[in-house]
Amino acid sequence: MNHGGGLPVTARLLNVGIRVKIVGIVLGTVLVVGLWVTAQTRRALRATLSRELEMKGLSLARDVAAQSTDLLLTDNVFALHRLLLDTCANNDEIQYVLVLNGQGAPVDHTLDQPPSLELLRANRPQRPALAHVSRLRTTAGWIRDVAAPILEGRAGTVRVGMSERRLNAQIAVTTRRALVATILAGLAGVALAALVTTVLVEPIRELIEVTRAVGRGDFTQTAPVRAQDEIGKLAADFNAMTASLLSSRQALEREKRARKHLLQKVITAQEDERKRVSRELHDQTSQTLTSLMVGLKVLESSCPADAAWEQVGNLRAELADALEEVHRLARELRPSALDDLGLPEALRRFIREFGDRFGIAVDFDCPEPAELPLSPEVETAVYRLVQEALTNVAKHARARTVSVLLKRRDASLLTIVEDDGRGFVVDEETTSPESDRCLGLFGMRERAALIGGRFHLESAPGEGTTVFVEAPLTEVPSGG
Amino acid sequence: MRQFHRQMSRVALCGLLGGCAVVSACGCRLSGAAKPIPLTTSGRPPAAKPEPPRDRVLQVAIAPVISPQETLFAYKDLVAFIGEAVRRPARVIQRRSYAETNEVLRRGVCDLAFVCSLAYVRGQEEFGMEPLVIPQVAGKTTYQCYIIVPARSPARKLTDLRGKSFAFVDPLSNSGWLAPVAMVRKLGRTPERFFSKTIYTYSHDNSIRAVATALVDGAAVDSLVYHYLARRTDGVSGTRILVSSEPFGIPPVVVPPGLNETLKAELRTAFLTMHQSERGRRILAELLIDRFLPRSATDYTSIRTRLEAEERS
Repeated sequence: MNHGGGLPVTARLLNVGIRVKIVGIVLGTVLVVGLWVTAQTRRALRATLSRELEMKGLSLARDVAAQSTDLLLTDNVFALHRLLLDTCANNDEIQYVLVLNGQGAPVDHTLDQPPSLELLRANRPQRPALAHVSRLRTTAGWIRDVAAPILEGRAGTVRVGMSERRLNAQIAVTTRRALVATILAGLAGVALAALVTTVLVEPIRELIEVTRAVGRGDFTQTAPVRAQDEIGKLAADFNAMTASLLSSRQALEREKRARKHLLQKVITAQEDERKRVSRELHDQTSQTLTSLMVGLKVLESSCPADAAWEQVGNLRAELADALEEVHRLARELRPSALDDLGLPEALRRFIREFGDRFGIAVDFDCPEPAELPLSPEVETAVYRLVQEALTNVAKHARARTVSVLLKRRDASLLTIVEDDGRGFVVDEETTSPESDRCLGLFGMRERAALIGGRFHLESAPGEGTTVFVEAPLTEVPSGG
Repeated sequence: MRQFHRQMSRVALCGLLGGCAVVSACGCRLSGAAKPIPLTTSGRPPAAKPEPPRDRVLQVAIAPVISPQETLFAYKDLVAFIGEAVRRPARVIQRRSYAETNEVLRRGVCDLAFVCSLAYVRGQEEFGMEPLVIPQVAGKTTYQCYIIVPARSPARKLTDLRGKSFAFVDPLSNSGWLAPVAMVRKLGRTPERFFSKTIYTYSHDNSIRAVATALVDGAAVDSLVYHYLARRTDGVSGTRILVSSEPFGIPPVVVPPGLNETLKAELRTAFLTMHQSERGRRILAELLIDRFLPRSATDYTSIRTRLEAEERS
């Protein structure tokens, strides 16, 4: 009975809903009990009616035998015939009455044709004084044939055939009624079971829907509590649990928003501070150092002493280095190019400097700035992410070449930093904030998240490392 | 919901299949026999045993002195014995009344008959019915008519039955009709006026039963039959003899006129020698008969006289 599915029948039966189970059990029980009762009734009725039919047949046969004795002995065939006809007329269950003489030859009968030899031989009294009943299957249906001896068989035998037609009709009527009652009981049972299961299952179904909604994050749904029964208590407890979950989730959300705000503030403050320090370095320190440089130049041209000359020359060289260092520091802190020339140019400058400084070949590819409408926050973030990525390459990767690729994809800017260094195992630990070593990676992820972008890292030992950053564009230029 | 329907229909289907199985199992138990028996046949069914030729059977007519069943029971061994003695299968012919039995004799349908004395007297007059032998019962060749009444009847003599109901046996019976009629006439009455109501029972045992069950207040019966039935536990219980008539010639064994003389002689010899064999004696004892005697051993004059007197009145 496996209807195509892979599951065995028991599993399939267990998987159906409670409603189907209960209705099925009720319907099955009603049908089984109904059919069993019908079968039992049929059997009992058949037994009773058969016994009655036999008793009636016996009584009739004995009666006819008693009445026909003298008629048979005095050869009163006419009276005998009238007796048989009267007997038949007064009982519609009689199929035939035969009177046989002592030799078994028919003397008289009520059939429209002479009785067949098979019928004559089908039944006879087993003992001279006792009537015998045989159940015969004849062309006119089943017949209970009673053979009653006349004068202990010396005068002959009376055979009365009692038809089972009326018996069968009565059984059929009773069976029909029992089946109709079974069907009605089945329908009533199904209706009742459906009602009961609706009362039982409906709250469970509602609870399931609410559970799913809560699972999707919709905490506004509550399970209706219809009664203080087990299901009602479950729904109430579930609602309490949902409310508790909602409040803790709201607290979490608030905390998250505050943290994000704080982080934003920190980063902005950091950038502002860097900007201020950079400007300070550029405007004050650098000017001071330049003034010093100019002063040293003047001193050099006006100082005749060779030793002092040489000393001034050294000082000037050192000062030049310091000036260069201050410039670089100022650029690193906050490249003015980022504010003045845009992200691509700022990156290009930083990468050139990075290549020169660490001796690593860096490929850089970037679209025109006009194609990249970026907000200042996003520009800063992407710049810092590339900066952090390259710093990591310089610190850990032992790479020979790095490629930095910026390209536009739909409404976002995709930044890829790929090196051919030694790589590392990327796992949960390496990207979690608890790992000090990888605080940088976590910071990159957070920074990307702050601008509504995404950060993704791919690496394996000996396979190099690739950093993907996806950042949103401010607006989508029409016409692609 | 669709799955629900599918499941439900499956459940219903299983239920129906189960039901059908139960019903068909019940049905199967009923059938399964071989070929059904035809009730009738277009041709004539062969008789169980071919009847021997008509002239080779000894046809024995017995008048309904006692009812047909009692007759068959009483005479079957005697008839069989005589049949064997003349080397013929014997067959008993019974009729409803003495007159019909006499008619059987008149037409020569039978070879031998047991009749009542009055029926014999009439048959002899009408068509020459011939007596063959007579039985001797309890040393006598005569019998009587008993007027019987219910055992609790207050009647002490025949006149006590005046205005009561009475049962005769047959208009051709001596003891069951002619004798009681003569007894009533002797009282100077006619039976029609003496009794309030009269019926015919057409056999002596019927008359005894009619009295025993108080259907009638009195009846006239054959003394031989009365004594024969008295041996049974309930044969004559509930009745008592009120009066008995004078003796009459005992009912004879007769043959129809013109019966083959050889057969007649053989039959006579068979009867007269019956008491000589052990089996014959046993059969005779059952019937309370001592032996059979030649026909000359009794006379029916008194009956003849009474009949003539009755016919005259």
